[in-house]
Amino acid sequence: MSNYTQMWSDLGLDLQAHDALLSILGGAYQDIFLSQKDRPEGMKYFDFVMSEVHGLRIKELMDAKAQGRMVVGSYCVFVPEEMILAVDSVSVGLCAGAEFNFEGAEEVLPRNLCPLIKSAFGFKRGLVCPYVEASDIIVGENTCDGKKKAYEVLSPMVKDLYIIDLPQMKSDTGKMLLREEYRKFIKKLEDVSGRKITFETLKKGIELTNAKRKAVKRLAGLRKADPAPISGLDALLVNQVFFYDDPVRFTTSVNTLCDELEVRVAEGKGVFPKNTPRLLMSGCPMAVPNWKVPMIIEGSGAVIVGEESCVGERGTQWLTDDNGKTIDELLDAITERYFKIDCAVFTPNPSRVDHVKEMYNKYNAQGVIHYSLQSCHPYTVESGPAEALLEEAGIPVLRLETDYSQEDAGQLKTRIEAFRERIETK
Amino acid sequence: MNTSVEPLINDEYTGGPPNKRVLAYLQAKREEGKKIAGVYCGYAPAEVMRAMDIVPATLCAFSNATIEAAEAILPANLCPLIKSSYGFIITDTCPFYGISDAVIGETTCDGKKKMFELIMDRKPTHIMDLPQLPDEEEALSNWTAMIRKLQKFLEATFKVHAIDEQIEAAIKDTNLKNGMMRKIIDFAALKAPVVGWREMYDLTFLSQGLTGKEVEPVLSEAVRKLEKRQAAGYVYGPHGAPRVMVTGCPVGGDAQKVFNIIEEAGAVIVALDACSGFKPFMMDIEEDTEDPVKAIAEQYLRIPCSCMTPNTRRLTEISRIIDRFKPDAVIDVVLQACHSYNIEFHKVGEHLQKNHGLPFLKIVTDFSQSDVGQIRTRVEALLETCN
Amino acid sequence: MIAAGIDIGSRTVKLAVIEGGKPILTRKALTSHDPLEAVRTLMNGVEYDAIVATGYGRHLIKDYLKCAAISEIKAFALGARAILPRCRVVLDIGGQDTKAISLNESGDMSKFEMNDKCAAGTGRFLEIMANALGFSLDEFSGNALSAKGAAKVNSMCTVFAESEVISLITQGASRHEVALGIHQAIVSRSVALLKRISTPQEVFFAGGVALNKCVGVLIGRELGIPVFVPEDPQIVGAYGAALHAIYTKKLLLNIDN
Repeated sequence: MSNYTQMWSDLGLDLQAHDALLSILGGAYQDIFLSQKDRPEGMKYFDFVMSEVHGLRIKELMDAKAQGRMVVGSYCVFVPEEMILAVDSVSVGLCAGAEFNFEGAEEVLPRNLCPLIKSAFGFKRGLVCPYVEASDIIVGENTCDGKKKAYEVLSPMVKDLYIIDLPQMKSDTGKMLLREEYRKFIKKLEDVSGRKITFETLKKGIELTNAKRKAVKRLAGLRKADPAPISGLDALLVNQVFFYDDPVRFTTSVNTLCDELEVRVAEGKGVFPKNTPRLLMSGCPMAVPNWKVPMIIEGSGAVIVGEESCVGERGTQWLTDDNGKTIDELLDAITERYFKIDCAVFTPNPSRVDHVKEMYNKYNAQGVIHYSLQSCHPYTVESGPAEALLEEAGIPVLRLETDYSQEDAGQLKTRIEAFRERIETK
Repeated sequence: MNTSVEPLINDEYTGGPPNKRVLAYLQAKREEGKKIAGVYCGYAPAEVMRAMDIVPATLCAFSNATIEAAEAILPANLCPLIKSSYGFIITDTCPFYGISDAVIGETTCDGKKKMFELIMDRKPTHIMDLPQLPDEEEALSNWTAMIRKLQKFLEATFKVHAIDEQIEAAIKDTNLKNGMMRKIIDFAALKAPVVGWREMYDLTFLSQGLTGKEVEPVLSEAVRKLEKRQAAGYVYGPHGAPRVMVTGCPVGGDAQKVFNIIEEAGAVIVALDACSGFKPFMMDIEEDTEDPVKAIAEQYLRIPCSCMTPNTRRLTEISRIIDRFKPDAVIDVVLQACHSYNIEFHKVGEHLQKNHGLPFLKIVTDFSQSDVGQIRTRVEALLETCN
Repeated sequence: MIAAGIDIGSRTVKLAVIEGGKPILTRKALTSHDPLEAVRTLMNGVEYDAIVATGYGRHLIKDYLKCAAISEIKAFALGARAILPRCRVVLDIGGQDTKAISLNESGDMSKFEMNDKCAAGTGRFLEIMANALGFSLDEFSGNALSAKGAAKVNSMCTVFAESEVISLITQGASRHEVALGIHQAIVSRSVALLKRISTPQEVFFAGGVALNKCVGVLIGRELGIPVFVPEDPQIVGAYGAALHAIYTKKLLLNIDN
């Protein structure tokens, strides 16, 4: 394995802290992923990606920058990857999933705040994330209060923070606002990259992004089978890697994995015994390396068969229509596609529960685990009515609210086991 | 503290909670057959409602008593104002909600936004999509469009219509009211204070609820009395009491414990920089423009609420108030789980330190009595640094 | 068939042995710092055909005894249902946690809510407060019930509530009034938990704190519903675990046949 110390040093990382983070990550990965039984061969690619998450991939980013290309970091699936690719830039997701340097984060942010935001700040202030340090533009967006105000604090810390405003209601005016914001974002990308977006480059960007989405949708479809051919943990990992791997290589690797899973399904081979209780996750996204709850679930005799989450189907289920003949038409199509995303920051948000019901039936699930990050108001408030509607429809729901710490692992396990017991008795 | 002065408002509600007076007014309006629209926020365009002869009624609740009921449905880790308001609604005990014929909400903060979803079915409810980047060009056209949508909702619900001339009249009425309130607020800024926070609240709560024309006699009378106090050398509070500016989330009802603690510690609150205090009255809406609805939108977008980003106006407003009121210390009151104001405190604190060199304190609290001791300790420590 | 259920809580271990569906032996002991030793002592001389573990320490014990484990939520649901077949809502206030469980028409557990992050509202809270007031646990309940009024305790946290109790006494509140205030505090937390899962018509009240008469009475008053306390409220979880041992053993036997 190459020595990346110089590269990390050039990026301004705190080498000691970074080493500590990497060793924690490595250990966790070993315990959680590599200890699983009967993993598909195709997961070896993702194991490799994870082993090189701060190494080879970063080198690729640095090589791209040396060639005059940009790295654009973002925190939300509302940031159109199509456009970033259209200026020949690299898109990386910066959402963070570890309780690292929360002390540093809490010097500038309140403690009672979403752990995802605190983790992002912990990484930034601790100088341990090469993706953040390599980003030429960091894109923020006005989704939830926490992120919205946290960007104000982040702005002076980074090279170039750009905010995309979002509507909060799905109205015609809202769609117009989103379109206008996307148009301004194109201009920003052009200004900083020195490249102009053309019809061809935007269409190509759409094709590449759609190809990624089709691949993960194919993966999602294969999880309908019983026994499940792939664990929820592994599927989550694929969905997480979606956010920062090279798009073409990622697409190929996921399709290769799916080829293997199709054989498994045909042979009735799986990672858990047939009739293992099947659960759907729904709610807040799980960013790398947040694997806590899926690990507990799949260590408690259940299997996760789908994710209604931004790191999951909410982020990938729709394709962008690429039939437009002009940039404007493509921009309309992009707006149309992204406007559908049913994050809880929107009010009202009825399609989310409908989507959960749809997934429940499609993947033959037996229960839904509603997952909120602590102090996430949109999802914790939405969880109440969502649970009521789902239970009314005969779908068992367990609501969990948690953070990134290991403190509540025991309590979570008790609840998850009890929920599995409830489902088994049905 | 001399007590031998006439209260600024001297009626049967004097000395009691300020919203009781407002409720009596609303009940009188109801009896006259007027329509009432419940509002949750300073962003609700009152002028448009008043132009249609609809009376806005503030629904924000500050009582700890209804929070338990709310927590059966809402998460405990949520703003107490939202929980209290919701608790009142589901226990059917809110006279203001009860008296409202319709409810107007805005997408200000996540908590409120998602709570509105839970009460949509109870009364005709209209939610407005508030832009979060008020300085962008589109914000003005969007918010103007939203206000026009609100107009349509009110027209459909109440079968009334307002023409631009009526809206213009309502704008002028508001400006008249704001002008008078600012005159009163000037008195609050006097070196030797002549008025305390309770009486200011009587006036701010009343002025929020009434039209300029309706409240004019009360405000004129208040000005007259304040002038008298000043002339008589009356001083509110202990001589030489430290002057405190309170900023942040709206404070009312059970949250007033913070104000009581500040006064019990020997200080005087001279500036109330919140929606429950001076904020709604600080600026005027442009008059006689081609488009009064646009003028309204423009003014409302200038409100320095933390739901806006980057909300630099909050800092400029704080500076303006400090220059005028010359406080010795600043207290930022943040309601529990209010991410917007809580995160914004970071830059408020920096601003106070760098640009004003004033001692300051953030208090994160709820409506219960459980943290009274802790608040007291902090406030006393803060005041000790003033001397 | 003799079945045993063992419930290892964070403070006490409970053992229930049943035969023909009825308890023939029950034992309790402190978990102490050595739960395995506590279990060994408790199970001394006990014979059984099947055993199931539940409670906070169930995974530790299941590896040691090589038996199955079920969550304490399921265990309490099973136990409560067996003792009171009509019950639909179970409230268990234990040494360090509280849970509310709702059962559906078929008697299976449906929704549940737990407070296992904070000692306030649990048996520990009552113990500490009784001590601060100079009451034994037995006296505590009676004294609270006999109070004419309550001295309100505002602190959310057990540690701070203890200081608040002491300061209330020094300010002249009577011990009875403070005792009642403490009981009201724990009841309001429990009622809030119950309301999150259902609007109960009746509550099956179990766990060590159910031995405290005042708590049961106050819950009943607060919700205006009957509160059923079984003869031995602490054993309900172990009993449920033993029942589960029978069900699964029978299932296995049926499969074998």
